[in-house]
Amino acid sequence: MKFKLTISFVLGFIGVSILTFVAALVAVIDFRVTSKLEGVLWTVPAKIYSRPLELAEGVNINPDNLIKELDMLSYISVKGPDSPGEFNFSKNNLKIFLRGYLDQKPGLFQVALEDSQVKSIRNQLGLPEDLIRLEPTVIGGMYPAHMEDRVLLNWPEVPQKLVDTILAVEDQDFFNHYGISFKSISRALLKNIQAGEVEQGGSTITQQLAKSLFFSSEQTIRRKVMEAIASLLIEFHYTKEEILLAYINDVFLAQSGRRAIHGFGMGAQHFFGTSISNLSTDQIALLVGMLKGPSLYNPRRNPKNATARRNLVLGILSKNNKISVSAFENLKDKGLGITPPNYRAEIKYPAFHDIVRLELQKNFADKDLRTKGLSIETNLDPVLQSSLEKSLASTKTQLIKKYGNRLDDLEGAAIAVDISNGEIKAVTGSTTPSSYGFNRSINAIRPIGSLVKPLIYLTALDKYDEYNLSTILDDSKLSLASGGEIWEPDNFDKKFHGKIPLHVALWQSYNIASARLGLEVGFESVEDMFLDLGIQKEVPNYPSVFIGSFELSPYDAIQAYQTIAGDGFYTPLRSIRQIKDTDGEIELSYPYSIEQRVRPEPISLIKFAMQQSFVRGTARGYSKKQIEMWNAGGKTGTSDDQRDSWFVGFAGEILVLVWLGFDDNRQTPLTGRTGAFQVWKTFIDDIKPAAIPRTSLPRIQYVWTDMKDGLRSGEKCDNSLLVPFIKGTEPKFVPDVRKKCATRGKTPRESVMDKLKGIFEGGQG
Amino acid sequence: MKVFAKFLALLSIFSIISCASNQNNRDISNYVVPVNDFSKTVELLISDKNFLEDEILKINSNNPSVQRIIKSADDYLRQENYIAANSELERAYRITKRDGSLYLRLAHLRYKQGLLKESESFASKGLLLLNISSWERLLLNVYLKN
Repeated sequence: MKFKLTISFVLGFIGVSILTFVAALVAVIDFRVTSKLEGVLWTVPAKIYSRPLELAEGVNINPDNLIKELDMLSYISVKGPDSPGEFNFSKNNLKIFLRGYLDQKPGLFQVALEDSQVKSIRNQLGLPEDLIRLEPTVIGGMYPAHMEDRVLLNWPEVPQKLVDTILAVEDQDFFNHYGISFKSISRALLKNIQAGEVEQGGSTITQQLAKSLFFSSEQTIRRKVMEAIASLLIEFHYTKEEILLAYINDVFLAQSGRRAIHGFGMGAQHFFGTSISNLSTDQIALLVGMLKGPSLYNPRRNPKNATARRNLVLGILSKNNKISVSAFENLKDKGLGITPPNYRAEIKYPAFHDIVRLELQKNFADKDLRTKGLSIETNLDPVLQSSLEKSLASTKTQLIKKYGNRLDDLEGAAIAVDISNGEIKAVTGSTTPSSYGFNRSINAIRPIGSLVKPLIYLTALDKYDEYNLSTILDDSKLSLASGGEIWEPDNFDKKFHGKIPLHVALWQSYNIASARLGLEVGFESVEDMFLDLGIQKEVPNYPSVFIGSFELSPYDAIQAYQTIAGDGFYTPLRSIRQIKDTDGEIELSYPYSIEQRVRPEPISLIKFAMQQSFVRGTARGYSKKQIEMWNAGGKTGTSDDQRDSWFVGFAGEILVLVWLGFDDNRQTPLTGRTGAFQVWKTFIDDIKPAAIPRTSLPRIQYVWTDMKDGLRSGEKCDNSLLVPFIKGTEPKFVPDVRKKCATRGKTPRESVMDKLKGIFEGGQG
Repeated sequence: MKVFAKFLALLSIFSIISCASNQNNRDISNYVVPVNDFSKTVELLISDKNFLEDEILKINSNNPSVQRIIKSADDYLRQENYIAANSELERAYRITKRDGSLYLRLAHLRYKQGLLKESESFASKGLLLLNISSWERLLLNVYLKN
């Protein structure tokens, strides 16, 4: 009796233990099922996009740049474009079959250009269209440590043909089983025996999901049991649609560098450069076919295998009456239509990416960036970016040819921004731009050399009752006690130039005149001006700052010049336009913000002096017509012992700053003109920026003055120049020597031309 | 009284527009407006922001693409969705930077957002345009007086 009791007790104990163990196992698996399905699967890295190119009537676009952009977006040039991703360009007419992006539907459009401007856009029916939008390029993401990349699809975004194809190939009984299907296993076995190869797998979609979510690929009984339990639990917790959606978003499709491509949304982007909703039946068949062996059937690496597998899937669809026999016959001969592999790479432009990342970290936690699937629309112009990188690299090659291999490790940085709204269009932080590492555009803090001068001169011109462009400056020897030493600045040509008008001292970049001017206006005024222009850095109290010992990063320097190029309106530089969540709602935007910091009149004077660098100074080489069309202006900078070569210049709507030098700060053979300006010139000549509207400044008046004494002169006098003044500040005195030439009568034709000039240049109101 | 003032104001507006809405946008300086009525209009524009908004939203661009975007921006503005309105205006601004209608809207939008300094700055920047009409010039000036 006692024995029996003991046995039943032991049996009971064992039974309870087993039950407890099973319950515990189920609980553990259940926890993993729910936490993984609700966690990892729905984590999507933030994606960073370039600006989408929008074409609308009146948009300025250089045709060469347009073609380059299409090429970067992997659009293919064909005779008659008739499917997404194709275009034809001839005689200023672009026919393009758009792939579609956001509210832009795919379709054929015809864009007529004239003088680098969009004249008209027509759709397939020949009706006028206001605006079309091309897809942006992905320039990188904020990937989690495991580098899984996906584009999350919601149920309404999943095309029916994708569902049909997946079910036909992977799990025909999906809607009828409870996670495990003995029917599927036996049918698959039978089919595979008939076909003589593995055409169908026996695992249900739920089992495949369970497998991919939790377990390694080892083939053990224990694993099979756990997989089965997990499948049942998944079916218990989630609806069929939820399971299918999880599967569609999670399947592994390819490895791209360090990045793992998961889900059909990302797969469509990765292989076809578009969203899943734009894919055709054969393209979907290709992706679904890849599930069986993502590497074996990778269409880029193994196109033959991929084609055979796709056709097998198409065959299954035809057998299941999902497509007609004739459609099958047509589709099986189609090409794969894969976009080139470099499209949508990991991180394309590290310097720009870096600036975006720093900006994002101000507003978002790292975890949110890596999981919330934010889409970050930036201002990057991929064509300008590529051109800027090439200009820097090719100029370096030229310089090495000229100066020898001592320039082999010459480094550089360059930034291009839109002068109206502060949008950062392109950035490089290295002469080998695709490499990660030291981003000189924001981290190289170097003496800015003569780039400081326009800022000092503007400080003076802003006091317009004291200074104008003809104010005489003194460029004779200067000795100053500074920090216990005698400071004696030199000019680059080691000469003294005596008394010269202010604008001449600037475009000739005379150091001594500039140092005296800085001392005259004083450190405090200079510091105030720096602050107004956007430089948030203390100005050290020693006179060499006035001729360029002041240190800035390229990024901070271009911010100050942005305020000048933008007519005195300070606009914080912006790399990001807006950030959207997965529903397409704007989560955060970086609006165009401006603040008038300097009056536009003194700015127009400094811009005039900077234009003289192009007409006769260190940036000469362009035709007068070109300079006027672009309203170009600039300044070269060379630091002490030629350790830094700088150029900043605006042309049309673009402001570009370039720095060249060595990381270890040793001497270069370069000046601002022979180094950085060459990069600027190569870039600007390549992109051919559009002109910007002239400003109306009724308080500005142009007067002929002498380039030596700065006094009033006349058109017919030698050595005279038409110089702008704020009305009332212009020189009035005409020296006796010029009385005759200055008042010499003009021919009637000249008078008429002058009047016309006055109307168009002076503005009204 | 207010209705009468509005009537007077509109009358003077029409007389200005008849001179100034010439879309070549050259300033025509010798329009005839009774000084009293004119200053009443300005007063009303400054004091009655709804009236001002109505007037601003009537000004459109000559460019059809910009018109379409402006319409969408105006809809957002009326719904007080300022972020979306701004996003649309910036889109239009990328198409053309010489359109008074955009500066007016940006100045107005910033005003509504409570960013008075920016509102004033957009108005000042708009006033640097060569090709705006006298009416646009007058409206931009209203934002300098906030």
